[in-house]
Amino acid sequence: MSEFRYVTKGINRTDGELIVTGRARYTCDMELPGMLVAKILRSPYPHARIKGINTDKAKGLEGVKAVITGADIGYRRFSFIDTPAFPADQTPLAVDKVRFAGEEVAAVAAVNEEIAAKALDLIEVEYEELPPVFDPEEAMKEGAPAVHEIVEPNTTTAWEDFGVPPSKSRPYKAVNNISNKALIQYGDIEKGFEEAEHIREDRFEVPSTSHMAMEPHVAVANYLPTGKLDVWLTHMGYEHKRFWLAKLLDIPISRVRVHKTYVGGAFGGKISIFPFEFIAAYLSKITLRPVKITLPREEVFAGCPPSRRMIVYLKTGVKKDGRITAQQVKVIDDVGAYRRSSPTALYLAHVFRNPIYNIPNLKHEGYGVYTNKLYTTAKRGHGLPQMVFAVEAQLDMICDELGLDKVEMRLKNFRKKGDILPNGDKLRSYGLPECLKEAAEKIGWKEKYGKEKFRGLGIGSASMFSGAHNFPFSSAAMIRLNHDGRMILYTGQTEFGIGVDTVMAQIVAEVLNCPLDYVIVNSGDSEVSPHDVGNWLSGGIFVSGEAVRRAAQDLRDQMLNYAAAGLDIPIEDLDMKDGWIIPGSDESKKLSFSDMSRYGIQMAGGDPLIGKGYVKCVPEVHFWKGKYNKTASLSSGKGRFTEAYGLTMAIAHVEVNPETGEVKILEIVVADDCGTPINVKSVEGQIMSQTVMGIGDVCYEEVRINNGIVMNPNLLDYMVPTANDIPKITSILVDSYEPNGPFGAKEVGESPRAAVISAISNAICNAIGERIYDLPMTSDKIKKALRSKSA
Amino acid sequence: MKRSVLLTVNGERHEVLIEPNLTLLELLREGLNLKGAKEACGIGACGACTVLMDEKPVNACIVLALEAEGKEIETIEGLVKGNDLHPLQRSFIDHYSFQCGFCTPGTIMTAKAFLHRNPKPSRDEVKNGIAGNICRCTGYENIVDGILNAAKEI
Ligand code: FES
Ligand code: FES
Repeated sequence: MSEFRYVTKGINRTDGELIVTGRARYTCDMELPGMLVAKILRSPYPHARIKGINTDKAKGLEGVKAVITGADIGYRRFSFIDTPAFPADQTPLAVDKVRFAGEEVAAVAAVNEEIAAKALDLIEVEYEELPPVFDPEEAMKEGAPAVHEIVEPNTTTAWEDFGVPPSKSRPYKAVNNISNKALIQYGDIEKGFEEAEHIREDRFEVPSTSHMAMEPHVAVANYLPTGKLDVWLTHMGYEHKRFWLAKLLDIPISRVRVHKTYVGGAFGGKISIFPFEFIAAYLSKITLRPVKITLPREEVFAGCPPSRRMIVYLKTGVKKDGRITAQQVKVIDDVGAYRRSSPTALYLAHVFRNPIYNIPNLKHEGYGVYTNKLYTTAKRGHGLPQMVFAVEAQLDMICDELGLDKVEMRLKNFRKKGDILPNGDKLRSYGLPECLKEAAEKIGWKEKYGKEKFRGLGIGSASMFSGAHNFPFSSAAMIRLNHDGRMILYTGQTEFGIGVDTVMAQIVAEVLNCPLDYVIVNSGDSEVSPHDVGNWLSGGIFVSGEAVRRAAQDLRDQMLNYAAAGLDIPIEDLDMKDGWIIPGSDESKKLSFSDMSRYGIQMAGGDPLIGKGYVKCVPEVHFWKGKYNKTASLSSGKGRFTEAYGLTMAIAHVEVNPETGEVKILEIVVADDCGTPINVKSVEGQIMSQTVMGIGDVCYEEVRINNGIVMNPNLLDYMVPTANDIPKITSILVDSYEPNGPFGAKEVGESPRAAVISAISNAICNAIGERIYDLPMTSDKIKKALRSKSA
Repeated sequence: MKRSVLLTVNGERHEVLIEPNLTLLELLREGLNLKGAKEACGIGACGACTVLMDEKPVNACIVLALEAEGKEIETIEGLVKGNDLHPLQRSFIDHYSFQCGFCTPGTIMTAKAFLHRNPKPSRDEVKNGIAGNICRCTGYENIVDGILNAAKEI
């Protein structure tokens, strides 16, 4: 298809009226008859033994319906992943000890918020403080306080779903607080460094930043007397939520319904299950009343995970001409109190950058380390922004030392279209070189570089998967034809700002060549929609969108078959146009979609015409039983990961005031290869969004933790970019056409942020002629760097 | 001790009995079931809860409901006239001025009051006018476009 009707166009949101009138329903807007309000008591200490909890007074307060502690709910453990190598280590309420300040200790359900708050004050907890450990490199030393004792595998897991028999489970003890490790190697690292003519070694550090999704974390749970659980959540895909709710509450997964909600932003921060969600569900189960928990912003900041804190030791060897011969990485992921997605992050910190530079000899070593701090999680790029910040900084330093052009040096090291990566992934589409060339051209690299005092240019790169080999593995979609010829699409995709309903409607209308309003989208309801990867593996368009395309194609084929039979015309002579089925020779015999619905019901045995489509993220990876398993390993990086990579290059142009250290961003150009864009407005929106988020990451955002306490848990002390902080931003779309994606599309939702962070920070360092090794690059740090330079 | 308050919301008069510490946002969202204005920070730092009080934008999360006595409150729900969207609402759709939409009701109300004061603003004036409304999704440019374009039509 060369001429598109909807795909590749900028289409407005089909649900826009709901949003602009304030009628879109978010979880925070949910009210149910008889609903209770729950609140959570959190630990004030970063590390302490719980010697006793007395809830009698709280239980006695009028209006209190339930009070629960860790003792009531036992050792129900959960985590982002739960495998024999990395067994779940977190409980919804602390049992025996607390491991970070802000950890959930007890919860109350009451008839209103005031009574719930009063009841929390009446709960008496006796703590015995334990020596805490905050610095991950201290925590790794022999004799450091142990954040975790032995984790007994005494919860039921669903490892069978992943092809692993539960019998493999064993007690788990973290040695020297090391929660998880990764070691990925290829080539010959020693030989690679021997061949190098120039080597640099540096240490970089990236702190946590908050997702700061505007809708705070909130959950509404309604456990019905029939044994069914209805929940409304602010989330990024229901499969993970219902999987864990079912497991933790001992109810069948099919009895958990995650209802459709609008989600007020997520950015990676609402994946998997959170203690408050389980607590709401559990309180509803024991009171048989609907329960709502809304976390105040302070609790989101101090009790819910921000992005990963990483220390990166990096050593790179190059030839004099800039060709990279070897790279050695040691990443320390300061996971905080609980591991959560660290094994994934250590792996992603490698695989996400694998498609960027061709590094023949590489060693990537990673350690997830427990500390007594707020635990951490994915945020747009999950490990990539941290890693790329370090790698791109060091490449810039090497270029400065060898007098190489920073654009040319990178072009020299890029991979090529058609390359097979060390894990077997193939780069079927690859627009990265074009991205860099076009961005450099646009910003005027040649004219400006090195010619302006206290102004600088910086480059950043990123690549991102399009759905991955892990749970939930695949997406499906169904399309139902109605009497009026309109179609209802059922998809498990969740709307948290990407405009997914619109994009999916575009895909269906394109395949069926009909008006866009013929398609009604029913999304994000786990009881109605089929299996779906959700919106957290950057697989929304590539995987779920392709499932939708296939479902539409299936329905199209069915309709054409019936039309051929009904008109007694060969199927090849039929065409679909503007919502009609037209026999090539005779327009007057055309049939409407409504006619086809009637035909199916009257003439084809009552066939209602339902289109179905499904896609596996990575067909080559499968879990079944024993010898049928073909898996991929997070800790060794072996095995297939994804079918396509979205790619981004960003270049920033900044000016630094040498007196104040203030940064003025003059311009950012972001060139993105997300294959063929399905909806240009949506793609540009994603790029813009991440660019501005990246400005915050570089210039001021940091979740500051002092002695285990979050020091800036509110929007006055934690600054995010406002409309006044926005420079000129240009996005360039490089359409590389991905043969495996729907209409050639790949993903765009996660990669620009990493590229932008590197670009701005490199530009700042270029402007001041000094390197800053950590984020954020505040004016104080810049002034200090300038002083040390002149000293 | 509960107190009685008389106020007008989107043209409808309400007499409500409230606790003196109830915020205007709580009254609107919980008392009157108008869920358009949102709470994102609760301390007057993000603008998600913006409504108009006698045509001036206020952060309803830090205004006491008692202060609304005798006042006219306008929320996002009051902007649609019959079946017709307000030009700002139309323009926000046309300019892709929202993603998750959580900040949108507050920003549109701020913008309405802003355009009332300054009907022909420059781009920078618009940016300044909505600097108190945090949006974590859009990167603001499309919001500014949405407002500038609506200005032409109001
Ligand atoms: S919720 Fe009122 S200003 Fe943020
Ligand atoms: S659209 Fe999500 S916060 Fe503005």
